[in-house]
Amino acid sequence: MAEKESYSIQLDEVDWNDATCLITYGPLPDKLTLSIQTVGLIQKPLLQRKRDGLLRIVCGSRRLAVCQQLGLEPFSCEILPTSILPETCLRMAIYDNIAQRDLNPVEKSLVLTKMAQHLDQAQLIQEFMPLLNLEPSTVLLSRYKKLLPLEESILDAIAGGALHQRIGFVLSPLQQGDRLAFFNFFQELPFSVSVQEELVETVVEIGRRDNLTPREVLDSAEVNDLRRAYKRSARQRVQEIRKQLLATRAPRLTARKERFDREVGELKLPAGVRLVPPPYFEGPRWSLECTFERGDELATRLRKLAELADQPEFKQIMESE
Amino acid sequence: MKYRPERLVIEKEVADSPLVKKILETLPGISVDWVDELKEDAGGESGSFLEIVKFRGRFIKPCPGTRFYNCCGYQILNLGIQCSLGCTYCILQAYFTSRNVRLFANLDDAIQQLTEHLDNSRRQIHRIGTGEFTDSLLLDPLIHLSENLVPLFAAQPNAILELKTKTAQVDLLENMDHRGHTIVAWSLNPPQVIAGEESGAAPLEARLEAAQRCQKWGYRVAFHFDPLLAYPGWQQGYQEVVDRLFSAVAPGGIAWISLGTLRFMPSLKTVIQQRYPNTSILDEEFIPGLDRKLRYFRDLRVEMYAHLNELLLGIHKDLCVYLCMESDDVWREALGFSPAERGGLSAMLDRRALS
Repeated sequence: MAEKESYSIQLDEVDWNDATCLITYGPLPDKLTLSIQTVGLIQKPLLQRKRDGLLRIVCGSRRLAVCQQLGLEPFSCEILPTSILPETCLRMAIYDNIAQRDLNPVEKSLVLTKMAQHLDQAQLIQEFMPLLNLEPSTVLLSRYKKLLPLEESILDAIAGGALHQRIGFVLSPLQQGDRLAFFNFFQELPFSVSVQEELVETVVEIGRRDNLTPREVLDSAEVNDLRRAYKRSARQRVQEIRKQLLATRAPRLTARKERFDREVGELKLPAGVRLVPPPYFEGPRWSLECTFERGDELATRLRKLAELADQPEFKQIMESE
Repeated sequence: MKYRPERLVIEKEVADSPLVKKILETLPGISVDWVDELKEDAGGESGSFLEIVKFRGRFIKPCPGTRFYNCCGYQILNLGIQCSLGCTYCILQAYFTSRNVRLFANLDDAIQQLTEHLDNSRRQIHRIGTGEFTDSLLLDPLIHLSENLVPLFAAQPNAILELKTKTAQVDLLENMDHRGHTIVAWSLNPPQVIAGEESGAAPLEARLEAAQRCQKWGYRVAFHFDPLLAYPGWQQGYQEVVDRLFSAVAPGGIAWISLGTLRFMPSLKTVIQQRYPNTSILDEEFIPGLDRKLRYFRDLRVEMYAHLNELLLGIHKDLCVYLCMESDDVWREALGFSPAERGGLSAMLDRRALS
């Protein structure tokens, strides 16, 4: 254990710009402010004396920030000597934080990015990913490390839970303008996380195919009309936007589905009967769903179906073009 | 583009193998690392090392078809893995993490397994290829593998060797006594596709010239329009390929022509996007097939197959054109019959193999 001493410090002794050991991200919790306001600083922050005489924050950055906000000084802190290695100080900060709470995804990204400067990848994965409740994998490590360069608004949303980190991962390779366009889009409408992922992929692919940026695809007249159809519920708009984008990405499948729906409609199947094509119209296996309440009802529907199955219109439905 | 590795990484156990001796003879002065056992990737920038190891598994295996689509019953003689041609769509990118070509030097073991396999099923016709996990002729100028395989198959009454390639490296085949038991096959695509997606492979003209030379030496040839790629103007592009094909080779000497549209495991998509961000092969819409591979939508596949089939049969009605990994209904719609109507795909090709 590193030796430390207690000192009473002034706030201007703290180097607020030194983020070497800073792994907290997000707004100050109201309850922490209330606590310090009411009963003062109970747990002492840990700092390290630097060669220039200023103090580097190791543990307790939020407590110190509240003290600064409230103008509380002097107050007592634990001070580590200059000789303690930066890696050791960073470890103290990490272990102190994870002992008290779950870190948010941006904080996990901070931990992995900062520890990567001191450890090789295998060590980092083995020691720190399980500590952060992450599956130890190089792919996941690389995804988390790509979160930090994202825009502050996106990071704030991820840290606060308004945007899932998986969306941060898929946005990370995009240009800033495109990322923010997606971010605003997702803040505006209640898409599920998996639909958000699907939409990023779909929009990026449409853009690549049509030589447009993702932002231009999201700003297209078709999408904007649906976004602004305020008479419909948000959930309806979500469904329609998703349908519109998928249709733009997959025009052949969409045309086939539309033709199928039209032809089935014209066939006038008996009530309670539904014809289900193979998924994506791939393969020979079609199915028929029939609901009924009585045996004679079933018999009538099956007779009617047998007649329909012999009609050229029925066979036409099953042909590709 | 001729394959020339920057360095060889060789397992000591195969140091005395004829294959290693041949490589060292054809690449004098090349740097060599001798290692006890090479389990993982030997390193190197983008596949610049050639790994030569002892293979400890089965050399001969059935082609990994699926029950959902018609499989041709092909068998694979696996003498090496990976390829340096760098085709954007190559499935090997998803199969193998290392980009180094790896050769199996214990050829004697391979030949023993192969002859036992053929002896154990003398009544069956075996169509065997070496081009599933690598290009059959990519390394031939270095290792002269064809000098072992072509005479070996010439002596087998019930087997045909298919050498599948995108190169034009056929020089060594010239004076071999193949007795009709080796078919040399090329994968074909329009010149603009070759330039964009198969940039490390031989141009179309060079492939067709090589095919022409092989025909002159008495070999039967085969062609694989696989992957067929949909792009604006694909109809004209493939029309041009077909025209050039038949101005170079005699249709009567073609064993078979396969058609297969682009399909790949979903995991390959990310690899392609990362390695080839400018490729447009992922622009078309894909659906998950019954085998979970991503493929073009059925209507487009049918359209492409029907178009190619019409072009090919329009030139020579007796060509054996088949679809690779497609369902009966696609066969019927695109070609007008299903394999079952002609005894099954495997039997169709077996008849052509030894005819």
